[in-house]
Amino acid sequence: MIPPYLRPGDTIAIICPAGYMALERAQTCIDTLRQWGYQIRIGQTLGGDSGNYFSGSDEERLADLQQMLDDPDVKAILCGRGGYGLTRIIDRIDFEHFRANPKWIIGYSDITLLHAHIEANFGIATLHAPMAAAFNDGGAEGPDVQSLRMAMEGKDLWYSCDPHSFNRTGQVSAAVTGGNLALLAHIAGTASAAPTDGKILFIEDVGEYLYNIDRMFRQLERSGRLDRLAGLLVGSFTDGKDTVRPFGATAEAIIRDVIRDYDYPVCFGFPVGHSGRNVALQTGVPHRLSIADESVSLYCPGGGTTS
Amino acid sequence: MLGLSAMSVVRWREDRGPLLIPPYLKPGDTIGITCPAGDITEKEIQPAVQLIESWGFRTLTGNTVGKKDFIYGGTDAERLADFQQMLDNPELKAILCARGGYGSVHIVDQLNFSPLLKYPKWVIGFSDITVLLCHIHANLHIASIHSKMCNSFPDDWTKAEPVQIASILSLRQALSGNETMKYTAVPNPQNRPGAAEGQLVGGNLKTLETLSGTRSDIDTAGKILFVEDTGEYLYSIDRMFWHLQRTGKLEHLTGLIVGGFKVKPDDPGEEFGRTVYDIVAERVRPYGYPVCFDFPVGHQKENYAFKYGVPHRLVVGTDQVNLTESTQTVTS
Repeated sequence: MIPPYLRPGDTIAIICPAGYMALERAQTCIDTLRQWGYQIRIGQTLGGDSGNYFSGSDEERLADLQQMLDDPDVKAILCGRGGYGLTRIIDRIDFEHFRANPKWIIGYSDITLLHAHIEANFGIATLHAPMAAAFNDGGAEGPDVQSLRMAMEGKDLWYSCDPHSFNRTGQVSAAVTGGNLALLAHIAGTASAAPTDGKILFIEDVGEYLYNIDRMFRQLERSGRLDRLAGLLVGSFTDGKDTVRPFGATAEAIIRDVIRDYDYPVCFGFPVGHSGRNVALQTGVPHRLSIADESVSLYCPGGGTTS
Repeated sequence: MLGLSAMSVVRWREDRGPLLIPPYLKPGDTIGITCPAGDITEKEIQPAVQLIESWGFRTLTGNTVGKKDFIYGGTDAERLADFQQMLDNPELKAILCARGGYGSVHIVDQLNFSPLLKYPKWVIGFSDITVLLCHIHANLHIASIHSKMCNSFPDDWTKAEPVQIASILSLRQALSGNETMKYTAVPNPQNRPGAAEGQLVGGNLKTLETLSGTRSDIDTAGKILFVEDTGEYLYSIDRMFWHLQRTGKLEHLTGLIVGGFKVKPDDPGEEFGRTVYDIVAERVRPYGYPVCFDFPVGHQKENYAFKYGVPHRLVVGTDQVNLTESTQTVTS
């Protein structure tokens, strides 16, 4: 099920369901969305100072998210930032109104949990996309934020990236799913884990030890999340840390080796992640992936229908 | 108390058939030493070899000792072959993993553990070796030993701290099987008093999380769970305890033992605002079982050998904390 795409005049709520974010860090995002013609509802957790890591107590973050989910005037919920914290409230969110009246949930990183939980339990599309800070420092005019705008307005989306020597060629049309690798590992075995069979999985992570990337990716494999994919998009794995004694393989080589026995198309260096490019991807919505020797493209037809 | 005991016995037998306890070691028995994960040199295992031989056991050094493939004690194929040989060898009564690090998960699915049913033996280790202990518990229901490994044996026994000596001697005691295992911990005001009986399972918390959803994942219902970790941020420890809860691993415990947690300090401006005690207390609040903190198990010098999967009795009192092996498992 695909939530209604946005039209100018619609209201977008901005909240922080996980880590703290100062309101001024989101100001460019707010101004830009208004310039695009949207009304903005600022949740209490944006700039909500809890005195610690979080943007509010569990109860405050839950209440803010719940209110935006239940408010029929709010057509999309943009998470200001990720960090850590959705795990602490996910099982207490009441999705009853949302199920009957789907709206776009926008974010990435810790928000991966919300995307996966909604996909696994309700089959509603969500938007894995840049968040408020991505609008700063000229980002609002950049291609990633522009892709967010086009995605939430239901426009045709066409992404390309450079060929990579590890790529495996092929063409496939399937729904995309995925997000942050640490979160995908963290939700394995829980009610929030979304099945990946027949889907194009995308993954990214930041600041992890290489051995831990290896361990988490193998967990995906051992929990049956890699063997029946339609395709795999490997995003950026940046700020990776190494052990004192070098691990001896890059994140890309780790992934290439684990999926050696499968034959679906795979693209490395896809523009999704914490550093560098991070394009909007509609989880649960069919995309067409084409990986050739000299080019890679991912196409999402406007309005969310397959061509 | 009697009622509790009877119930836990039933639960542990329901699990995957009766628990199989490998034969305890007698003088002259042989212990294999291998590296399923990180690498170690021949020189580095000498303190362990010498001490174990002084106990009257023989050792067999696997050919992964001294091998090095980046962080691993040999390639996946070499580590797999070495461990498999030890599983297959009827002469070996125990397999001591030389150290943890990372890498057991690379070989666990290729290992054929069925020889353990024919020639049961103790698999010994902790940290990354949690993978093997969990896998053996979940799939074969054979007892193993969560313990210090070769890399934690002191170079100079005479200069070692008493708790380190006591920890290593507890491995000898666990292997010999002629005494009931008994542990005490300093009472912590954050403990939740009570008494519990159940099989002792658990290990490294991060490793437990990364086994979720796989065939090495353990069922904790009716059991005493122990967890420890090192080098994790508080937010990550919080997330892992939520993971335990969300995968149903906290709800049906009979008791919880929180071992050592070496916490990575918060980055400036990212203060988590909760301690490990707060994190655990929040998660176990809905349940009534006993909980104890700072139990001497984990990545510190005081890290006693636990018989993994074996029923134990945990009594958390205000003046003392006792963990005792349930006597019916001790053979004479």
